[in-house]
Amino acid sequence: MGKVSRPGPGFLPFGLALILSALSIALIAKSWKREEQSVPFWPERGWVRPLLGVGIFLLYAVLLPLLGFILTTFFFLICWMWVIERIRWATILPISIGVTAVLYLIFSYFLEVPLPAGFLS
Amino acid sequence: MGEIWGMFQGLAGGFDIAFTLTNLTFALIGAVLGTMVGILPGLGPSATISLLLPLSFKIGSPVTSIIMMAGIFYGAMYGGSTTSILVNIPGEAASVVTCIDGYQMAKKGRAGPALGMAAIGSFIAGTIGVLGLTFVAPPLAEFALKFGPPEYFSLTLFGLLMATLLGEGSILKGLIMVVMGLLLGSVGLDPISGAIRFTWGIHMLQEGIDFVTLAMGMFGVGEIFYNLEKVLKTELVTRKITHLWPTLKDWADSKWAVIRGSFIGFFIGILPGGGAVISSLVSYAVEKRVSKTPEEFGKGAIQGVAGPESANNAAASASFIPLLTLGIPGNAAIAMIFAALLIQGVQPGPFLITEKPEIFWGVVASMYIGNVMLLILNLPMVGLWVQLLRVPYSILAPIVVLFCCVGVYSIRNTVFDIYVMGIFGVIGYLLRKVNLEPGPMILAFVLGPILERAIRQALLISAGSPLIFFTRPISGALMGMLILFIALQIFFSIRNKKGNQ
Repeated sequence: MGKVSRPGPGFLPFGLALILSALSIALIAKSWKREEQSVPFWPERGWVRPLLGVGIFLLYAVLLPLLGFILTTFFFLICWMWVIERIRWATILPISIGVTAVLYLIFSYFLEVPLPAGFLS
Repeated sequence: MGEIWGMFQGLAGGFDIAFTLTNLTFALIGAVLGTMVGILPGLGPSATISLLLPLSFKIGSPVTSIIMMAGIFYGAMYGGSTTSILVNIPGEAASVVTCIDGYQMAKKGRAGPALGMAAIGSFIAGTIGVLGLTFVAPPLAEFALKFGPPEYFSLTLFGLLMATLLGEGSILKGLIMVVMGLLLGSVGLDPISGAIRFTWGIHMLQEGIDFVTLAMGMFGVGEIFYNLEKVLKTELVTRKITHLWPTLKDWADSKWAVIRGSFIGFFIGILPGGGAVISSLVSYAVEKRVSKTPEEFGKGAIQGVAGPESANNAAASASFIPLLTLGIPGNAAIAMIFAALLIQGVQPGPFLITEKPEIFWGVVASMYIGNVMLLILNLPMVGLWVQLLRVPYSILAPIVVLFCCVGVYSIRNTVFDIYVMGIFGVIGYLLRKVNLEPGPMILAFVLGPILERAIRQALLISAGSPLIFFTRPISGALMGMLILFIALQIFFSIRNKKGNQ
């Protein structure tokens, strides 16, 4: 941490930690004093859609190296729009194909990013 | 006189750079993308610039990528009003107040003049802002050459505290986010001694938390998760938009609002910690106060559209001043551009104008051109953009998430970064849920290393005496202003409390 005249690497983090503790105590004290009606963290079943989103996101990261960019991206779009948004298939399919193609074109062709090919390679 | 001549020469050189085909193309891409994300609710300029940060590795020169990102930032200020007026949802944060009178005008069948006045006001204010940038930045940069560590410490502190004082929501929560951002910024190697901090033996953390991953997670992915909770519906109040050119009466009503808005925006934008959002709120309040018919506000007063929409554009241009002359970004969106410059190996600061004049003048000149492009995009072509509002968020959201994933993957070609971004995304979502805005945090994360280096060097100089921040004239003046602002804030909050009882 060092001395005030020779502040070391721990000087600022220590000071920040002190400030953060003080602020947190102030916030707790403030919410303690003001007795508000507690609001549910999620409105009724409000957690379902975000959780589905996080799940599909995770699935994308897991499958990307295995199935490769094209297949995973295509399934991601279908999954997201069908599971979360319940859009008609007639809309989902052309959009999924189109977006996958455009993204592939931008990243692989124009920006020359070596996208994972998965088992297709 | 020599100095002014130098500015004209610099600007002429800048136009040479901005008028090359590549830079014109990227200025146009920036303007189009900016208008687009300005119009689309649930996707702001900060998120979009963060989305494009990985691409700035791939776009050749620093000038070109900054020209594009600047275009997105001020372009979003143009687009935002469209959604506010037609749908009563702000397209981005700086157009929140435009909803009040803009939507009322649209309901009365005056959507055309509202959109027209917003675009023209934006153009006038944007141009005034860039003119200010042209003539204020060079002398300010020269002045900033005198700044030592104590001045930089006071300045960064000033910016961080102002960002929370002027920001939305609870000041206490804003301060917590600032401290969290500073702590996150201290992960990795200590900038002075090289000691390793907060890595818990994880090798990947030694270089610190990657800004791009953090920003894309907090802003891009986090915002999408958050918006998934509610269903965003965009219903247009009217489909046909006619009479875009305001009537003579509209002009007479709004000309002073535009000019006042431009100056309010410019001065708030130049302030570290200020920015487009605050300036639009201030402008609306001022317009309501000076109006002879304040009762018209909220029922479709055109000044309520013209003022704030001008202010946010002037502020957008002006907020480049602290970035390009002091190396200190004033708000989250500018922090993204700061990061983009660092990625390109350019250190913004007082030396930028003299050492890399092509970047400074190239970007400034492109902003004159960009404003003309945006006027054309937003005035005669506004009908086309309105069609964009028919693209539902349910289709847009997965595309944004994909863009983030592939973008973050492309930096180091590793899936690991996608997981890290996902974690930040979930954190960003939960923080938003408890009303902890990620903006101040991102700003603090970027300013952290500057602040730390400054405070430690200053204390070395003064042998540990914190008085150094108050006795040096420039630093002392900044600290004095800061203390004054805090005192005023406390005074007003006590008075408001008493008023409520």
